[in-house]
Amino acid sequence: MFHAKPARLPFSMLYCALFVGVVLGAVGLPANSRSGQPAPAEDLDGKPADPFALSGRRVIVLLFVRTDCPISNRYAPLLQKLSEKFRGKADFWLVYPDREQTASQIRAHLKDFHYSIPALRDTRHALVKRAQATITPEAAVFDPAGRPVYHGRIDNWYADFGRSRPAPTTHELDDAISAALGGKTVTPDHANPIGCYISDLK
Amino acid sequence: MKQTAAEPRPPLSSLALILAVVFLFVVASAGLSQSSKPVPEKSPPVTFARDIAPLVFRSCSSCHHAGEAGPFPLVTYGDVKSHARQIADVTRKRLMPPWLPSAEGLRFAEDTHLSEQDIALFQKWVDVGMPEGNPSETPPAPKFTSGWQLGKPDLVLHAETPFTIPVSGSDVYWNFIFRSPVNSSRFVKAIEIHPGDKRLVHHANLLVDRTQSARRQEKSPGSGFAGMELQLESESFDPDGHFLFWKPGSPPIVEPPGFALRLDPDNDLVLNAHLQPSGKPESVQPTIGIYFTDQSATSFPVLLQIENDRALDIPAGEKNFIVSDEFTLPESVHLLALYPHAHYLCREMRALARFPDRTEKTLIHIPRWDLNWQAVFRLAQPESLPRGTTIVMRYRYDNSDDNVANPNHPPQRVTAGNRAVDEMAHLWLQVLPEVQPTQERDPRMVLQERLARHHIENNPADFEAHYNLAAMLQARGALEESVQQYQAALDLRPGDATVENALGAALLSLGKIPQAVKHLYAAIAARPEYFDARYNLGIALANAGEFARAAQEFAEATRLKPEDSGAEANLGAALAELGENQKAIAHFLRALQLDPQNKLARENLDALQKTP
Repeated sequence: MFHAKPARLPFSMLYCALFVGVVLGAVGLPANSRSGQPAPAEDLDGKPADPFALSGRRVIVLLFVRTDCPISNRYAPLLQKLSEKFRGKADFWLVYPDREQTASQIRAHLKDFHYSIPALRDTRHALVKRAQATITPEAAVFDPAGRPVYHGRIDNWYADFGRSRPAPTTHELDDAISAALGGKTVTPDHANPIGCYISDLK
Repeated sequence: MKQTAAEPRPPLSSLALILAVVFLFVVASAGLSQSSKPVPEKSPPVTFARDIAPLVFRSCSSCHHAGEAGPFPLVTYGDVKSHARQIADVTRKRLMPPWLPSAEGLRFAEDTHLSEQDIALFQKWVDVGMPEGNPSETPPAPKFTSGWQLGKPDLVLHAETPFTIPVSGSDVYWNFIFRSPVNSSRFVKAIEIHPGDKRLVHHANLLVDRTQSARRQEKSPGSGFAGMELQLESESFDPDGHFLFWKPGSPPIVEPPGFALRLDPDNDLVLNAHLQPSGKPESVQPTIGIYFTDQSATSFPVLLQIENDRALDIPAGEKNFIVSDEFTLPESVHLLALYPHAHYLCREMRALARFPDRTEKTLIHIPRWDLNWQAVFRLAQPESLPRGTTIVMRYRYDNSDDNVANPNHPPQRVTAGNRAVDEMAHLWLQVLPEVQPTQERDPRMVLQERLARHHIENNPADFEAHYNLAAMLQARGALEESVQQYQAALDLRPGDATVENALGAALLSLGKIPQAVKHLYAAIAARPEYFDARYNLGIALANAGEFARAAQEFAEATRLKPEDSGAEANLGAALAELGENQKAIAHFLRALQLDPQNKLARENLDALQKTP
């Protein structure tokens, strides 16, 4: 839990400033407003990592997941398949927003679920805010200019907790990536996901 | 934090920035203060310790603890806080705890449903920031034992072959056979089912297969087989009166004294499991623990299946399709449990009792059916249903795209069947007849016979009903009508080995030997390894004076079941008729070795040995 880590206390002012910067980014200020700021996330070796800087000017897909969210886990084969379908065109990143989930737990999770998508820990929820993600699993798609074009559910497999269709009948994430790659407007730009609340993690 | 992403304000003033910083700082420090500062003097209106923990311990923790089906634990304050909004959401929508019946019907054991007040408490707790309150007020957390809940079983059985669940896709149904677990007849007071990883198994039903009929569905012995619904055969009127059902979080049931389940040698147990892919490769290999009792059964409950599958012909897109059935009890019974069953299109279920005085009482009402949470509902108190009470079943189906569980997209016309894409309209009742069975009259038989006739009225093409009615008629000596009913079953499934054999046996009892021989040969043609049919054919041929052919069939029967003393004795008798006395004596001796009480072998042996 957040309050169980008093070591964070001395940095609280810096932490707040960062929040504001990200909030500004999310309301549509130019993407370069983040320049000079610390990287929003970290990789599994604990090194600062910014998927936007690392991916350059390509379509970026952030996939918010948790190791212990069953709905997020049931999507693993599909997410892996989508990343393969768009390999070389769109960059996929798994984003773990749970501060409690360690790099080694995440490594084990990647192995168990046969993920080969690179993973990031978003302990400060900078990517969560930038993507306006609220749920795991949730996807966010950014165009090559780093502008958000879609965030929300992967498809309509789940209608509610414990209420899933035998198979999805709409494919919002797949459609959004295809549209972004084709330079087309993504509609809808949001669809409510079903899963575990990221806000419960704070 | 979404609320801080306010309207864009291009002329961003330093004041706004400062306010934002202050606001966030307050939020951050409030979070930090919870662990370091003492609880405020004025206690919050809703706290975990006082209000939430008792609800969670009663209705959530039994599944949500380590090793159980719940995907995350809900035992400590931290556990619950880290899923608080989700809990508030799923309880408000009544998705959790997964309890299907509304308050309208009877009271059931293991009722985990939350009251409106309970649900409001969760909402309020989230609204006030999920305070823990005074930890000393937290009631003790429930204690969970891992492993066998009923202690060490007398017999532990493992499925022979694990089943590998696909990583993705829709739910799968798999059947595991536990082969002849006992080698002498035993009474069972409890069976504890360990289906494997409980996160993967939605529910499981264990059935007693008295004739090893499920084995015929396996590709190779021990492989198990796919299938959502199981159909088993029984060679005598021996209704299984027990639900052996597993669902997450339910404790294993110990039958009350006298309600033991009989298990005979050669009986198999078949576990029908509903499994759900998790996203990664998984396999399950169920284990079951059996607890014996020395006390034999003295109370004989019976399972009654009310159904109207024939009425299931649901047009594509139909949102409000009603299937109903009414069955009037010919015996007074105590209702012990209910097991409503349908597949994915069913939305609402209702069952009621209309008493002889025309008053009605709802037995169960399920306002939102969900196959995933199907269960056996055991009554908190038995309900008395006097003779003449009508059980009314009324189910509603939605075959439109509005029904997210619809297996067809776009919707298709759906009829009854065993596959997940087919439908069902079943209501099982576990009842205990008021009077005990006697040699002359078994109330279970009266109930089942009336029910079979009712099924045939509903659906003249009901194969099982014709077959079961015929078997009951045969058992109580009504042979002429039994033959008619077997014939009706055979017309529905020409060449079915089981029916051909039963019809042959009934004709044999009637003394119609040539007709019996014809049907018994047909049974063997359909299933050459069919012991019962070989045995019956041997008897029929011997009755026709064809002892050489009879001896051939009995010899084949002893090959199929070398430990059957009856086949050995009959083989001996046929050989004796053929004058092969030395061979006959060997078979009589073998029969007596297998069963010293074998009368036929004893008498024949005595007669032969007296012959000079």
